[in-house]
Amino acid sequence: MVGTPVLLIAIPLLAAFLIPLLGMLWKELVRIIPGIVLAYMMILSASLLYYVLENGPIIEVLGGWSPPMGINLVFSPLTGFLTTIMTFLGFIVWLYSYRFKRNVDFEPAKKYFIFLMMLVAGAVGIVLTGDIFNQFVFIEIVGISAYALTAFYTGRNSAEASFKYLLMGSLSASALLIAIAIVYSQLGTLNMAEIASKVHLMDPTFKVIAMIFFIVGIGIEAEMFPLNGWAPDAYTEAPGPIGAAFAGILVKAGIYAMVRMIFTLFDVPGAVDFLLAIGLVTLIIAETAAVKQDRLKRMLAYSSIGQMGLVMVAFGIGTLEGVYAALFLMLNHAIIKPLLFLSGSYLVFNSKDKYINEVNGLGKYLPITSVLFSLGAFAIVGLPPFAGFWSKLSILMAAANEGMLLIIALILMVSVVEIVYYFRVVNRIYFFEKSKDVIPHRPRFNALLSMIVLGVIILVIGFYPDSVTGIIHKASEDLMNTEQYINNVLSVGKSLTK
Amino acid sequence: MKHELFEILQFGIYSASILLILIGLYAALTKRSLIKIVIGLSIIDAGIHLLLVAIGYINMGTAPIFSPGYEDAAATMVDPVPQALVLTAIVIGFAVTAVALSLVIRLYRHHHTLEIDEIKNLKW
Repeated sequence: MVGTPVLLIAIPLLAAFLIPLLGMLWKELVRIIPGIVLAYMMILSASLLYYVLENGPIIEVLGGWSPPMGINLVFSPLTGFLTTIMTFLGFIVWLYSYRFKRNVDFEPAKKYFIFLMMLVAGAVGIVLTGDIFNQFVFIEIVGISAYALTAFYTGRNSAEASFKYLLMGSLSASALLIAIAIVYSQLGTLNMAEIASKVHLMDPTFKVIAMIFFIVGIGIEAEMFPLNGWAPDAYTEAPGPIGAAFAGILVKAGIYAMVRMIFTLFDVPGAVDFLLAIGLVTLIIAETAAVKQDRLKRMLAYSSIGQMGLVMVAFGIGTLEGVYAALFLMLNHAIIKPLLFLSGSYLVFNSKDKYINEVNGLGKYLPITSVLFSLGAFAIVGLPPFAGFWSKLSILMAAANEGMLLIIALILMVSVVEIVYYFRVVNRIYFFEKSKDVIPHRPRFNALLSMIVLGVIILVIGFYPDSVTGIIHKASEDLMNTEQYINNVLSVGKSLTK
Repeated sequence: MKHELFEILQFGIYSASILLILIGLYAALTKRSLIKIVIGLSIIDAGIHLLLVAIGYINMGTAPIFSPGYEDAAATMVDPVPQALVLTAIVIGFAVTAVALSLVIRLYRHHHTLEIDEIKNLKW
């Protein structure tokens, strides 16, 4: 053991606020400190996950107030699995953007790294916390850093994308706060485990109203269908690595909060079916919209929304296999989509509008980046032997076990659409002539390293899926077992008060 | 306070908070000026804060502090948790408003207008 779960939140927040001071001492510290912190978080999270898989969840009590009263952190196989992915992604994004504006200007880099740390800290907090109001606070921390990162470049339309995101984000945060007020007025508690144990006492009408407000409040970070209007613009206007961070970190936290709420907090019959239906709508609309896009990052953004729809469909199947498939897909998406964003932003590095036809013929000029982008494209559409194949297969098998044949047909049809628009780009990279006014930009060593790490992981999961399935099985059992979650958290409270 | 009077007061406060939320929602969704949208968001926040504080209030409640003369006043104290929530929510609302206004300044410098119809470069 190298620490406790609370350090996963405390250290990045501390580092984020120390960065400006340390930058006064030596400017290079602004770049080095986030790397050290994120590497430490990654190691801490992985070692805690290893411990938790053997010995059962860690419930950490904050400030000495026992769980139903105070805030507690839950580091279980599920939450540990997600925090490990997020901190790893945070580290990869740091590695990629280590030289961000290095010889240009000091101020932007400082802000960039501060908000990157806050984004990771908030996302980890959303996943770890066991208190709904605390989760609201973390959602706002993630939100504010995401608005700021979206508006990062002053030259583009980024302020407009960011304002749009802020408008939707702050309206949905208000909905979340109303939901918290309803739950508190009915049950008199904010602790997730206690809400889950008492939720049958709640008036059914209020329960459904509170759940709807919760879904509206969290759905925005999870890119759920009517609330995902911010995503294409934010992904397009934000710096390239931030697109990767959104897809790998922020959206995963949103999906987790939503699923925890539907599976654990409220046992409303039909909520899971709602997830299935909204997931299908999200999937179909996003994938058809992706085909029409003529800008690379916008296409990737719609594809990201579509993948989140697929995750919701898999959760919506509602069985253990469905949850397993959804978590597997979340892992794969968290690795493949950042690879696509990172390599894709080098393919259109010097282009102003990032049109897809500007990648024509770059396969000769940027060989490694192009190979990595193609690898990501093959993996995300689910070609065997790459990582995406196994998760798509497990979703189809989970649906087949439940006899949901129509859903299988829809998923396969959408996969064909996915193949069309990804292979269109790959085709352009390799078989088109490069136009003269496109100047390819070679990636730096650190950026190349971060992309190669992601590519190797895709191949490893693709050829040896057994290396991760054990963890995902334990995580999915952890999500389905509400009784155990309640007992784990509340028993800590009892043992403290004795 | 008499029970009936308290009921009326409570109803009034709840309706006022819901009215505030609706006014804010109206401003945020229908106004075309960026500043008015930000004001609308703040009004929604204020409404929710009022709602939260009202949930924690009890008839003839006292401040939730144990002080000399009030050692066994736990039953008549108002619930302190919503007040703590509101304090936190005010700070968060302040931060969001600050970010929103700085974005409005940025948009104004770029486009020289605050009308949302004239700024649309991105598709909604």
